[in-house]
Amino acid sequence: MSRIIDKDLKELSATLYRMGELAHRAVLEALIECIEGKEAHEEVREIADTLVAMADHVEDKAFELIARFQPVASDLRTIKSYMKIAYDFARFGRYALDISSINKQIGGLRGCEEWINSYVKRMSEKTLEMVRSSIESLKSHNTQIAEKISEREKEVDKMYFEFIDDLIKCGATIKCAVSSVLIIRYLERIADHAAYICESIIYIATGRKEVLR
Amino acid sequence: MAVKFDIQNLNAWFGSKHVLKNINMKIEENAVTAIIGPSGCGKTTFIRCLNRMHEITPGSRVSGKVIFNGVNIYDNGVDPVMVRRKIGMVFQKPNPFPMMSVYDNVAIGLKLNGVRDKKTLDAAVRRSLELANLWDEVKDDLKKSGASLSGGQQQRLCIARALAVEPEVLLMDEPCSALDPIATAKIEALIRELAKNYTIVIVTHNMQQAARVSDYTAFLYLGELIEYGATKQIFENPKHELTEKYLTGKFG
Amino acid sequence: MDHHKFRVIKDRLIQFLVYLALFSALIPLFSILYEVGARGFSTINIEFFIKPTPTVGESGGGVANAIQGTLITIGLASLIGVPIGLMSGIFLSEYGESKLSVAIRFLHDVLNGVPSIVIGVFAYALITRSIGFSVTAAAFALAVIMIPIVTRTTEEALKLVPMSVREAAIALGIPRWKTTIIVVLSSAKKAIVTGILLSIARIAGESAPVLVSMGFWRWWFAGLNRPVANLALNVFIFATSPFENWVALAWGSALILILLVLGISIAARVLIKGRY
Repeated sequence: MSRIIDKDLKELSATLYRMGELAHRAVLEALIECIEGKEAHEEVREIADTLVAMADHVEDKAFELIARFQPVASDLRTIKSYMKIAYDFARFGRYALDISSINKQIGGLRGCEEWINSYVKRMSEKTLEMVRSSIESLKSHNTQIAEKISEREKEVDKMYFEFIDDLIKCGATIKCAVSSVLIIRYLERIADHAAYICESIIYIATGRKEVLR
Repeated sequence: MAVKFDIQNLNAWFGSKHVLKNINMKIEENAVTAIIGPSGCGKTTFIRCLNRMHEITPGSRVSGKVIFNGVNIYDNGVDPVMVRRKIGMVFQKPNPFPMMSVYDNVAIGLKLNGVRDKKTLDAAVRRSLELANLWDEVKDDLKKSGASLSGGQQQRLCIARALAVEPEVLLMDEPCSALDPIATAKIEALIRELAKNYTIVIVTHNMQQAARVSDYTAFLYLGELIEYGATKQIFENPKHELTEKYLTGKFG
Repeated sequence: MDHHKFRVIKDRLIQFLVYLALFSALIPLFSILYEVGARGFSTINIEFFIKPTPTVGESGGGVANAIQGTLITIGLASLIGVPIGLMSGIFLSEYGESKLSVAIRFLHDVLNGVPSIVIGVFAYALITRSIGFSVTAAAFALAVIMIPIVTRTTEEALKLVPMSVREAAIALGIPRWKTTIIVVLSSAKKAIVTGILLSIARIAGESAPVLVSMGFWRWWFAGLNRPVANLALNVFIFATSPFENWVALAWGSALILILLVLGISIAARVLIKGRY
């Protein structure tokens, strides 16, 4: 049976999905910019701003639904979670902008050691995969995909600490050290937020508050 | 907290129609328990079994136990009249006794139980009307007819009338469904206040009301108890699929 | 346009016929009131209310004893008929449907339809044969006429009290019989009293059963086993008599009777209005 609120929930879900795609693109562009040196700062900035505006819109819409429909049970959990997820996607945009700023300000990873470049590349791939997973699990409130993210989050965490150890051991130019540490740091945060998104998905579907980090 | 009603294997019939099927639940003392469910699920029959009102309908039958203050109210030696004095009831449509004044309406329960002393009656009437948040509105003219009050006031009069015989429990069958939103809000606030000293069981078809007013919620469907728990848990994360469907309006 | 005009004419025609019927029905009523009023009014004087029936040849006289007798007869009849009617009405309304209820209702309906003269003969056979022509016999006959009326009006009045009133009383822990007597009856008392008043108005004017069971009496009250004077019988006996003053008294009695019945009916109406 179709309810009045279903249409609004579908719209909200579609908006979130679009946010996810945009966020993924922003992070991807920013990383390519730093690793391969391709200029993309303006584009990334635009997307980041759009994501913030969209997150505001989602929050307003969610409040409207609460006022109008007094939702309960799964509807209530869904609306609460959508607000959180919109914020998480906006954070992706923000981190993408931060990463792109590193390139703008200090030239990214241009001319840095091979091992640093390949490390950052590997961690970027892992993180981008997590972002894609989070968007995928949002699509159908899929808890299986959501739960798998826990493993990868722990891997990314490990990679973050290992890199810092390696950097101290091996040393590098200041520019490369600063760039790479900042980028790795942002990647770790992006991974965290991807995990938050999956936790929200599990909460919507089951009502359980699981920690995947 | 203490258990006021221990309901065991409660079944009820109207003729051959099996209306309540094996209900088992414990109702907390001095808390508000809401009974929700779609039309015809047996909620009204259920509370009428708690004060032995179901059996006054010809052709009705009850089996199982309802243990109240340690005694099964359906035991052979138990007088239903005494049960109903301890367990009061307020009905869907306000029904003050016609042709009687506000004062008489509240006092009649006591008068018919032998209380004659005017001072005692006066004090009891005042106390009950104060408990029902109606005293200030009627104190200047207690002799006016009960029927001349507004709907919301009439319902509070019925609550005062029920409270006058000093029950321990108040059963309420959709008490606000005939009232406007402001009158409803007044009665809901009253229910929360009364819950400090009385056990209240309220049947409602308004889920939001159940969410606002109750500490515990029971969901009935087709005569069966589907889910029963703290209101917060039921409305945020119901365990049973049927409950989820009913709460989010996916029935039908 | 033609159709419209035709409809208007038809409408007016029907209206006219309806009013005509109404007035035709009212004409006998008003002519009775006028005749009785005009002729009876001239008889009314102090003497009328103080003196008893005059003997043959005596002039003047009044209907004082007939008024006394009528009141005694009605009073006695009510004493018997009202409680029985009330209790039957309460039983039929409050104590469930059963084969017994159906039977009782049927019997009451039959009783209602029995001609009053037959009831008079029944009273004659039962009471008059044992204790003689008496006010007791007349009261008995009138009571039997009253009972089905009181039963029916009581039952209807009680049925009008909504179930919610009874439920509210039972839920308060009031025992069943107290619920019925005190709560339900008090809610319906205006309608019940109205019913009783109307039944009294009915029997006040009965002449045939009174004549058969009690007969004519010209003196004051003389004991329960003797007859009493009766306004309705006065009309019957005096109207066709050869004495002028007796005929006048007949008209006067008729007027009093009509005023009595009218008075009771008006009281009943006032009571009903007072409910609101």
